[in-house]
Amino acid sequence: MSRLDDELKRALRRAEAPPGFADHVLARVVRENRTRQAAISGWRQFFTRPILRLATAAALSTALVAGGAYYRHAQMEKAQRAEGEAAKQQLMLALRIASTKLHLARSKVNDVSDGNQNRHEKE
Amino acid sequence: MAEPIRAEHSAADNDFEAIVRRHQAMVYSIALRFLAEPAAAEELAQDVFLQLHANLKQLQSDEHLKFWLRKVTAHRCIDFQRRRRLPLLSLDDAPELAAPGQMEDVLLSDRLRELVASLPEKARMVVILRYQEEMGPEEIARALAMPVATVKSHLQRSLAVLREKITRVLGEVSL
Repeated sequence: MSRLDDELKRALRRAEAPPGFADHVLARVVRENRTRQAAISGWRQFFTRPILRLATAAALSTALVAGGAYYRHAQMEKAQRAEGEAAKQQLMLALRIASTKLHLARSKVNDVSDGNQNRHEKE
Repeated sequence: MAEPIRAEHSAADNDFEAIVRRHQAMVYSIALRFLAEPAAAEELAQDVFLQLHANLKQLQSDEHLKFWLRKVTAHRCIDFQRRRRLPLLSLDDAPELAAPGQMEDVLLSDRLRELVASLPEKARMVVILRYQEEMGPEEIARALAMPVATVKSHLQRSLAVLREKITRVLGEVSL
């Protein structure tokens, strides 16, 4: 081991912690515990006060009623949209059938008028 | 009204207090030699013990506890240094010593501490753990999460620079 090793060990030997160091650490631990407990008990107290419990219950009830009404309204809208869509489909089908029938009738009329014209020409 | 702190002590707190008293010099000294600022070192050492209080159940033996304290202190010191954004020096940039006529042992220790405090952060922590805590390279490597070869390289380079700077001042005295 060189002299530098020895000198470094001497220079870097442990220093005493400042007076009251451990007490300061313990005080900080207590303070932090109190802060944490205060935060937890703050929430607990919030729900143990009667007026706040009532307010929370009222808010929850209102939210439930409003949610139910909104759900019912949404369901009704959905059903109405489905009915409208079905009626539209039926109308489109009826129009397609009517169009086919008209087309057939016009063909028949054309056939009859062509037959009459040919007969007149022969006569 | 706030109750006295002592009144809130439980048996676990008494154990914790004993641990603090047993290891306070070690933790404080690592921080002091690294930061070279007593107030900052004290605050950092207190933070280390607060972290210990929160993690005490995970530590199974006194050896484990000691290793944990050294590791956490070392990492906190390096983080603190980085947050302060102090300019980093390379080993070669470590300051020259003002040459005194005759260097006393006490003065030599002071000068060595100044030189160590001016080393780059990882090299500095390696030197502190090696010479203050007398840890081996393998243990230092585990504490600082770096390869053993890197620890040895930091030690060799740091010692070479320290020897050169000190010898330049001391002249004929060989280290």
